[in-house]
Amino acid sequence: MSQSLSVPTSRQRTAAGQAAMSDRWFSILLVVPAMVVILVFALLPLAYALDVSFRFADLTRGRIGDFVGLDNYRTVLHDKAFWDSAWVTVKFTLSAVFLEMVLGIAIAFLIHGATVGKGVIRSLMILPLATSAAVTGLFWRYLYDTQFGLINYFLGLIGLPEPNWLGDYTIALWSVILFDVWQWTPFVALIALAGLQALPKEPFEAAELDGASTFRILRTLTFPMLKPVLFLVLVLRTIDSVRLYDAVAVLTRGGPGTVTETMTFYLYRTGLKLFRMDYASTMAIFFLYAMLVASLFALRPLLTQFSSRASEG
Amino acid sequence: MKSMLKQGLLVAALTASAAPAAMAAECADADRVPITWSTIAGFYTDAMASLVSGFEAGHCVKVNVINIDNSQLYNKQVIEMVGETGAYDVVTLETSEKAEFAENGFILPMTDYFADKQAQLDDVAPTLAALTTRYKGDVWGLPYYTYTAGYIYRADLFDDPVEQEAFKKRFDYDLAVPTTWAQHHDIAEFFTRKAGETLKGEALTKDFYGVGLMAGPFPEIQDEMSGVLWSQGADWLTDDGTVPVDAVEKAMNDYLELMKYAPPAALTVTYDGVMNQMKDGQIAQTYSFFLDQWPNAVQTENTVPGARMGVAEAPEKKAYIGGFLLAVSTSSAHPQEAMDFVAYIGGFLLAVSTSSAHPQEAMDFVAYIGGHDAQMEFARAGGTSTLMSVLSDPGFATPESRTKTGHFATLLEIFDSMKGFRSNLFDTPFGAKIYNTMQIPLQSAAAGQINAREAAERLASEVEKICGGPCPIGK
Repeated sequence: MSQSLSVPTSRQRTAAGQAAMSDRWFSILLVVPAMVVILVFALLPLAYALDVSFRFADLTRGRIGDFVGLDNYRTVLHDKAFWDSAWVTVKFTLSAVFLEMVLGIAIAFLIHGATVGKGVIRSLMILPLATSAAVTGLFWRYLYDTQFGLINYFLGLIGLPEPNWLGDYTIALWSVILFDVWQWTPFVALIALAGLQALPKEPFEAAELDGASTFRILRTLTFPMLKPVLFLVLVLRTIDSVRLYDAVAVLTRGGPGTVTETMTFYLYRTGLKLFRMDYASTMAIFFLYAMLVASLFALRPLLTQFSSRASEG
Repeated sequence: MKSMLKQGLLVAALTASAAPAAMAAECADADRVPITWSTIAGFYTDAMASLVSGFEAGHCVKVNVINIDNSQLYNKQVIEMVGETGAYDVVTLETSEKAEFAENGFILPMTDYFADKQAQLDDVAPTLAALTTRYKGDVWGLPYYTYTAGYIYRADLFDDPVEQEAFKKRFDYDLAVPTTWAQHHDIAEFFTRKAGETLKGEALTKDFYGVGLMAGPFPEIQDEMSGVLWSQGADWLTDDGTVPVDAVEKAMNDYLELMKYAPPAALTVTYDGVMNQMKDGQIAQTYSFFLDQWPNAVQTENTVPGARMGVAEAPEKKAYIGGFLLAVSTSSAHPQEAMDFVAYIGGFLLAVSTSSAHPQEAMDFVAYIGGHDAQMEFARAGGTSTLMSVLSDPGFATPESRTKTGHFATLLEIFDSMKGFRSNLFDTPFGAKIYNTMQIPLQSAAAGQINAREAAERLASEVEKICGGPCPIGK
């Protein structure tokens, strides 16, 4: 019996080594498909775009041309339209995400406190998310229509001014923001609601017993505990807003003039209307760089939190 | 002998005419040569569907029609041409795209193909042919549809005695179809009224506007302005390949003046929006407007009680009778005379892709669709033909045909007035890119974001950027 249990140390090491090797290769094998997808659909196009950004590439005048050094970067950096579109993107992102977060969280609290109809409300809230912006945008274009739109019809009925939602350059961007808020506030609300429902009850019961005010509970318990969820949804919405294209394409086509032309729309116009792939690739590289830097800063606290939780676990 | 010869020729002719049909009848589906036609989704293609069947009945060819939204057609076609994918055998080009496609070798010249079909080429309205089919001496395809601009108006308003009297009292001349842009402006101003005021002696329940404009974010504002710019003796591009800033500023200022008399929705609409305004009884007249929309405009007679529609050449046509130069650069010594006879002329061209695997069949298809029989059928369906023989067919001048072809006579007049006209915009290989960009500064000005001068300067700067300096003009 004792003999059968005693295995020579060298054999133990070999078996352990083989198991370790096997596990390592197995894990690599698991990762390979994802890496291949990333390589083919993200890294190779990125490398190609990087290459094109250093070349002359007017598609309508032949294929990708000669190496031009940093000329395209200089041109893009001096392109006023590029910076205008960047500013439009910043304005849109800040406004839309702020409104969506505030309204979404407020709605989540309302639903969380509701006693009946939660399921129905949750189902209804999914509707704006279930259809693409390209489709719902068409409906909104008709809603916004100055002469035949429902919004102005009702405003007229109650004697309010009837704005030119998509034609007045002072409010056109706000019209796009309003559409985005309508579509994405439910997303924020649903995620925040899920976060609220997942919070443990004990701390809140204890706080109530101690006579803490609602405001104090919100400030010291609810929001700190919801912070990771809210932060995640904030990052997701910010990334999504920065690359806004479809709503602009359907509602305003970047107009009037260029007041609603976001970076991605300008990139599309440069690449697929003017076929200047060199400038478009250069803008895309700028765009990617900006997003990477922003994401690193934005995600760092979240990643730190996740890794500390993992190490605690 | 003579009768034998006659009989022989008759038999030969009958055999020749029956041959394609017989060949098609014998042709099994599997043997059909596939060709693909990329074209505009919507009305034009719907009307063409039966013509495609007609072509297939006479040829051992299967035509796959790819309907693409007008806003995406150019992009899709360029991408396929650059990639030499052969995805499209026959492409549909806007007038401003012809030079680019020809210059870059995207489409095949059809000069040799039409060498023995001169009569068919000659049937295309000459002005249209010059603008759409020819570039650097070669023929590049056939236009199958024209959206040449003219003037559409509410004739019932113009004929109303109360309105006539009020107009005469205010402007000291008779209310009639305008012959100058200044008169057009007066009419726009005259008919712009608030709800509660009267029109034809009846109180208006909603605001009424003097003119419908296409100032939305679409490439139509430049089409509206083209006629006006050209009538000033200018062009979007000078012979030196630059934008004439002063002339564009003037045309833009004229446009901004008219904006005061247009519905607020002018800033968001294109041609269909203007037609909706007309059919909703909101506007009295168009600016320089696509005449192919006549079948749409005439529906106003059904939707607005008492309405009667009229169509005419755009203003300035009759301002300087006697004619002079038709295509005139800004350096013309006779700009006033050059202001005669100018409206926006455009059409869709069918051409054959260089990467087509079956260019012969594709060219046959182009010739068929642009040919007399197919164009007659197209016109009966409400399409606006490009052939003189169709436009002048007496069958289309009858009162019964008015709702579909009532604009044909006006088109003939326009083509006649503008014989020999060319625009540098259509003769530069950068025309399509310029055309797809120019609405941005123009619309910015229309919306009040910038002034006319800034719009003209911005346009000049954009064009210079697109062409990398002065644009080459390849006549």
